[in-house]
Amino acid sequence: MPVTNLIPTLLMQSSATPGAAQPVTPKTFWLPEGASTFSRQNDWVFDFINYINYFFFFLVVGIMLYFVWKYRQKGREVYARGPSHNTVLELGWTILPTIIVVIIFFMGFRGFTQMKVAPANAYQIDVVASRWNWVFKYPNGATSDDLYIPAGKPVNLVMRSEDVLHSLFIRDFRVKQDVVPGRYTSLWFQADNPTEGEKFHWLFCTEFCGKDHSNMNRKVFVLNESDFASWVIEQGRWLDKIPAEELYFKAGPKIFARCASCHTLDGKASTGPSWGNYDGSGNIWKRSNDPNTAHKVDGKPLSELIGVGKQYENAKSYLRNSILNPNEHLVDPFGPAMPTFRGQLNDKAIDAVIGMMEHLDEFDTKAPFAKKTDGAAAPAPK
Amino acid sequence: MTTLDTRPITPPVTDNYLTFRRGFLSWAFTLDHKRIGVMYLVAVLSSFFVGGVMALLVRTKLLFPGEVSWMSNEEYNKAFTLHGAVMVFLVIIPSVPAALGNFVLPIMLGAKDVAFPRLNLFSFYLWVLGAICAVYSLLAGGFDTGWTFYTPYSSQSEAGGIIPVLIGVFILGFSSIFTGLNFIVTIHKLRPPGMTWFRMPLFLWAVYATAIIQVLATPVLGITVALLVVERAFQIGIFDASMGGDPVLFQHFFWFYSHPAVYIMVLPGMGIISEIIAVHSHRHIFGFRFIAFSSIAIAIFSFLVWGHHMFTSGQSPLMNVLFSAITFSVAIPSAVKVFNWLATLYKGSISLNTTMFYGLSFLFLFTIGGLTGIPLAVISTDIHLHDTYFVVAHFHYVMMGSALIAMIGGLHHWWPKMTGVMFSEFWGKIACAMVFVGFNLCFFTQFMLGSQGMPRRYYLYQPEFKMYHHISTGGSYIMGLGFLITAIYLIHSLFAGKKAPANPWGGASLEWQCSSPPPHDNFATTPRVGDCYDFSAVHWDESTQGYVVDAEAHIAAAHSGKGH
Repeated sequence: MPVTNLIPTLLMQSSATPGAAQPVTPKTFWLPEGASTFSRQNDWVFDFINYINYFFFFLVVGIMLYFVWKYRQKGREVYARGPSHNTVLELGWTILPTIIVVIIFFMGFRGFTQMKVAPANAYQIDVVASRWNWVFKYPNGATSDDLYIPAGKPVNLVMRSEDVLHSLFIRDFRVKQDVVPGRYTSLWFQADNPTEGEKFHWLFCTEFCGKDHSNMNRKVFVLNESDFASWVIEQGRWLDKIPAEELYFKAGPKIFARCASCHTLDGKASTGPSWGNYDGSGNIWKRSNDPNTAHKVDGKPLSELIGVGKQYENAKSYLRNSILNPNEHLVDPFGPAMPTFRGQLNDKAIDAVIGMMEHLDEFDTKAPFAKKTDGAAAPAPK
Repeated sequence: MTTLDTRPITPPVTDNYLTFRRGFLSWAFTLDHKRIGVMYLVAVLSSFFVGGVMALLVRTKLLFPGEVSWMSNEEYNKAFTLHGAVMVFLVIIPSVPAALGNFVLPIMLGAKDVAFPRLNLFSFYLWVLGAICAVYSLLAGGFDTGWTFYTPYSSQSEAGGIIPVLIGVFILGFSSIFTGLNFIVTIHKLRPPGMTWFRMPLFLWAVYATAIIQVLATPVLGITVALLVVERAFQIGIFDASMGGDPVLFQHFFWFYSHPAVYIMVLPGMGIISEIIAVHSHRHIFGFRFIAFSSIAIAIFSFLVWGHHMFTSGQSPLMNVLFSAITFSVAIPSAVKVFNWLATLYKGSISLNTTMFYGLSFLFLFTIGGLTGIPLAVISTDIHLHDTYFVVAHFHYVMMGSALIAMIGGLHHWWPKMTGVMFSEFWGKIACAMVFVGFNLCFFTQFMLGSQGMPRRYYLYQPEFKMYHHISTGGSYIMGLGFLITAIYLIHSLFAGKKAPANPWGGASLEWQCSSPPPHDNFATTPRVGDCYDFSAVHWDESTQGYVVDAEAHIAAAHSGKGH
């Protein structure tokens, strides 16, 4: 950033002009692209500290190397006579850093107060974090796995956790806040420029939360106001609009994307039991319907749970309960790691998921888990 | 004062502490601070090897993000947890005070031993017991919580080794408390006549400041891990929200110890650097009082800044602001020390030997470690950098680049004193250069990773981070090789090293005035002391190929105020 821009930027209120399709601050050697109204101010503080750091680093190392070269030992009689103290000098290098850090503190303090208080008109999105899922809930009841936000409008995320600590970090927005079980935390930001095409901003979980912590990342899309308005309405209704006969292959894979952080389709090991055949007892539908299955749940064959006169009349009831009360029965040797989907999936969505299980052979085992075209060979990977 | 002996205190000694008694039992039940120091050293360096191997495994896994056959993702989580826990609790915290401090502190004071030799041995065995708990926890299923044991993950995780390792941490805490207590009493009561507080070597000032933190802060850690054990074992809700507890409370408790613990780790290292830079520059340390008081200032301020680990935790914004402001108070004494060390080089006669290489490496690395703390103390920038690799890089520059490099430097500085042999300067310099280069490749790249947004504790990453991760891992291999060479030439010197003179570097503090290795009782008579940073009475002696301190002139200079 040119020096002439420094002072105006420091004094300016944090409201970047919308419209331009370029990032608020470009990606640099140190920082990723900045895309929120905080990034200009925060990057300026970061760069300012960096320049001070460069100065002191080269000062210290430069002086050190010069002294080491100039005063290197010559001969065996080594006693050297140098000043043992100098009060003025020492007070000077105590007071000067003190002044500098006080200035730096106030710069950070100022940025922080802006980041802490969300404007009253902020658009609220509720966030529920669980191992290892993010669910974003919009005011009209729509939910999504990736975060969609309106451009040019302050957005306030009100967050809670269902299990352990998580932390929501959107690096391009320069915001981060822990998500704590037992309380609500919030964070707000405003992104003025819509993301174009395939572009998005990364959202990471930055508080260690176990096995799939590294996978707990999502995409953030910024839509212009009218696109966002229609998206959020669409998102609230997308399931309703799918006709019953297309339900399992249209809605199924879309919902499964949320299950995919713990369950695979191809039998490979993951956090939860694979939907595919992983222990020789067939895929999830086959093993649930096989009266002689070797598949064990709670240490017993699954067939002891399912059947007329047993706890579950049929496999569908068992599978439905496993989605809503996931830890009531545990497939050996898996632990109680699955969050409940009660309140997140309605009956139609559960029908779609169970329908997908029923026709599992028709699906690609790799994302995006779409239905294979009948009879045709698997499409070449892109 | 009347009957004190002022003759040079380097009488020809045939016996030393290593040969004084022989056999396993003579070591196992020894009350000699030097032997206990050596046992600590062996134990700490063995743990360093284990922690180092874990680090290399973690770095290697990051070469191949995704599934690899030799390390599952759960094992990765356990590996970085073990690396952190071992390095903090078993290596860095005891390394300088308990290993080097035990050996050097009484000799620097001209004392025969620490104040409570039995307590000293007891604290060593507590360390061993704590280490056994840590090993047992691995057999019981390991632990995957990160070394910070954040709740409620740590109260819910299914890893079987969490309770054993928490008990181990509890026991190690007592080991640390007893060592600190012992050193406080020793420094108060066993200083020789003439050694006022301002005649005391700066290493002892630093160890004294450290001991205060150890005694005051460690009990809080003990209570915290005990509460966590109770919560895990008996399901009594203290920190776990699902049982009515508060997870953020744990973070307050944990950092109330663990931030001061950062200074338990780095303060003694700073003390070593004060010794190394003065002795190997052969001139009076610059600004003794500023360095000494800055150690005490750091010890006091360290208790008031723990909340800066929690800017994003959900604690009140007012606390964030207060903790940010107070945090800068620890920056000042650290800066003062760096400037004083620099000024000590001015007009010195600087020996460019292996030890000084480590001393200069420390200055370089600590400057980076300290300066990169500033954007982490500023709230608005910390929010971006928190829990990213930037933090990882920052604390490795401080914990490893500063505390451990100072420890290795101190090991070289006192190696001839401890073992009676000289190590290979040639290999020493090569290994130090490799460690220095490897370290910077490994960790400087992590600053860029972090500020670009790479979160810590991930085994997967976006392709844009690949280059930095590869350089970082390459650096870790170079560093590992450097340490391997160090181990080889140090062990080789034990068998084939040249015999060390009493004072190979030209130091003036008391430990350089007894033979190498020191006799069982250190000094035949209580020595008198001069100014330990006055090198005017230190002369080269061709016959022993070492330096001798002219004690008469040394003490006379101190009384006349000369030599400053």
